[in-house]
Amino acid sequence: MTAGANRIFVIAQNTYREAVREKLLYNLFAFSTLMILSSIVLAKMHLGYDERIYYDVGLAAIAFFGVLIAIFVGINLVYRELAQKTVYTMLAKPVHRWEFVVGKYAGLVSLLALEIGMMAALFMLVVWYKDTQFPIQLLYAIGLIFMELVLITAVALFFSSFTTPYLAAMFTVGLWIIGHLLADIRDFGNLPDAEGIRPITQALYWGLPNLDRLDLKGPAAAGQVIELGTVLSRALYALLYSAMLLIGAVALFQRRDFR
Amino acid sequence: MSLIQARGLRKSFRTGFLGRRVEAVRGVDLDVREGEIFGFIGPNGAGKTTTIKLLTGLILPTAGEAWIQGVPVSDPRSRQHLGFLPEGTFFHEYLTGAEFLDFHARLLGIPRDVRRQRIPELLQRVGIPHAADMRLRSYSKGMRQRAGLAQALIGDPDVLILDEPMSGLDPLGRKDVRDLILSLRDEGKTIFFSSHILADAEVICDQVAIIVRGRVVHQGYLDALLGQELSGVELVVEGIDENLFEQVQALAQRALVQGSRFQFEFDDEAEAEKALDWIRSEGGRIRSLVPRRRSLEDLFVEEAKKETHA
Repeated sequence: MTAGANRIFVIAQNTYREAVREKLLYNLFAFSTLMILSSIVLAKMHLGYDERIYYDVGLAAIAFFGVLIAIFVGINLVYRELAQKTVYTMLAKPVHRWEFVVGKYAGLVSLLALEIGMMAALFMLVVWYKDTQFPIQLLYAIGLIFMELVLITAVALFFSSFTTPYLAAMFTVGLWIIGHLLADIRDFGNLPDAEGIRPITQALYWGLPNLDRLDLKGPAAAGQVIELGTVLSRALYALLYSAMLLIGAVALFQRRDFR
Repeated sequence: MSLIQARGLRKSFRTGFLGRRVEAVRGVDLDVREGEIFGFIGPNGAGKTTTIKLLTGLILPTAGEAWIQGVPVSDPRSRQHLGFLPEGTFFHEYLTGAEFLDFHARLLGIPRDVRRQRIPELLQRVGIPHAADMRLRSYSKGMRQRAGLAQALIGDPDVLILDEPMSGLDPLGRKDVRDLILSLRDEGKTIFFSSHILADAEVICDQVAIIVRGRVVHQGYLDALLGQELSGVELVVEGIDENLFEQVQALAQRALVQGSRFQFEFDDEAEAEKALDWIRSEGGRIRSLVPRRRSLEDLFVEEAKKETHA
C-alpha cells in the first residue's frame, strides 16, 4: 500500500470506529429493526397482502433509516473533526487535505455498507421466517438504496466543507427532498402556463442529483422485472455524481483556513 | 542551519457581518536553528497561535513564506519529521490513550512492531503509563496535555512545535514538561514553543521572539536580549529603627516590612550604596544584597507597553 493510500485507510478506519462508538447510530438501528419487525404484525392485519407488506415495509425502513444515518451521523462525524479541532493534529502530519476528505468519505461509506448489510440481512430473515420468496429485484432495490446513500453522503460532505453542521444538514435534507421531486418539477415547468420558469425547472432537473432514478422500491416490491443493466447504469450515475461532489469538497477544503 | 524559517509571514482574516479585514500576523520573520529551544512569547491575541498555524499548514498565509527543514510549509512533506501539539488539546475523545497514539503513528506510516514498542514508552515518558486503556474523554486536563505531547513525539520528530505546552498543568506538571523539553533538546531535537508563562521561557529557552500585535518586536538569544548590566539591587536588612527605615524607603523604589526584616528594591546602584552606608553606621545587619538583572518579564512588559501606546 502506498503512503497516501495508507493514510486514507487509517482515516477511514478511524471514522468508522468513531461511528460505531456513536449512540445515535444504535438508536437509529434499533428503530429500523423495530420497523422491519413490525411488518410481521402489519401483515397479520391485512390478510392476503402479506408478501407486499413485508417487501414495502422492509425496503422503506432500510431507505428511511439509511438516509437518517447518512445525514445525521455523516454530517456529525465531519463537523466534529472541525468543531472539536481534532483535524489539527491530523493535518499537521504529512497528510494531504484531499486524503482527509477521501478518508472521511470512505469511512462513512463503509459504515453505510455495514448498516445497509445488517438491515438487509434482518429483512431477509423476516421474509425467510414468514416462508415468503425473496426475489432478486429486492436486492437490486437495496443496492440502489445504498447508492443513494453514497450520493447523499457526498452531498453532506460537500456542504460540511464550507458551512455549519446545521446548515449542512438542512441543505442536505432539502436536496434529498428536491432530488426525489425532480420529475414533478420538470413536468411543472413543461405546463403551457409555466414557460417563464421553464429554464429554471430544466436547470434544476439536469443539474441536481435525480434521486428518483435510484428509487426502485415500488417496482421491486410489486414484483416487476428489473434489468441488471438498468441497475448498473443508475449506480454508475450515482457514483459519477458522488465523485463530482467529492472533487468539489476537496477543492473547498484545499482553500479552507482551520482557525 | 535553520530548521524553521519564516520570511514576511502575513495573515489577515475577515471578521464580522461586514467582513472587516483584521491583520493577525504582520510580516513575521523567524529563524530557529537546529538543536535550539526557541520561545515564542506574547500576550493573548498577539498572533502566536496564528503564526503556529501558518507554520503547520493549517491556515494559508496572505503573504510571505515559511519552511520547515527547507521544505515550504505548503507541502505536506514539510511535516514528515514534525511533531505538533495544538493549543487546547483537541483529541478524539472516543479513543483510548493507546489507540490515540496508534492512530497518529499509523498516519505517519510507522510499522506495527515500532508502534508496539514506542507507545508504552512514550506514555511512560509523559507520565501517564496507567492511562493507556482509558478513553481520552475520562482524562483530566493535565493528562490530555501529556497525551498530546506523546502524540507530538510519536514519530520521533526532528522538529517540535508546541503551542502553549504548559497551559492547564499544575506546578509539578509544568516542571515535568520543562524537563521533557530540555531532555528533547539534549537528544538533538529542535523545539519551538509558544507561551505566555515567561518564567518557564526564561529558564529553558536559548532564543526567544516576542510578538506583540502580530509583529515580532524582539528576537535573539536571551543573554543578548536581556544584557548583562544590572537593572537594580535588592537589599534585605534587620535591626534598623523606624526613622532609618523611612530614610531608606525614600531612596528605594519599593520597601517591604516582613516581621523583623526590611526589604528594599533600588533601581539605582549608587542609592543602594548610600542606603548601605547609613544602615551600617546605625548598626543594622545586612541579610542579603542581590543584584537584579533585567528579566524577560521586564523586557516583555516594556515592549507590550510600547506597542499599546504606539
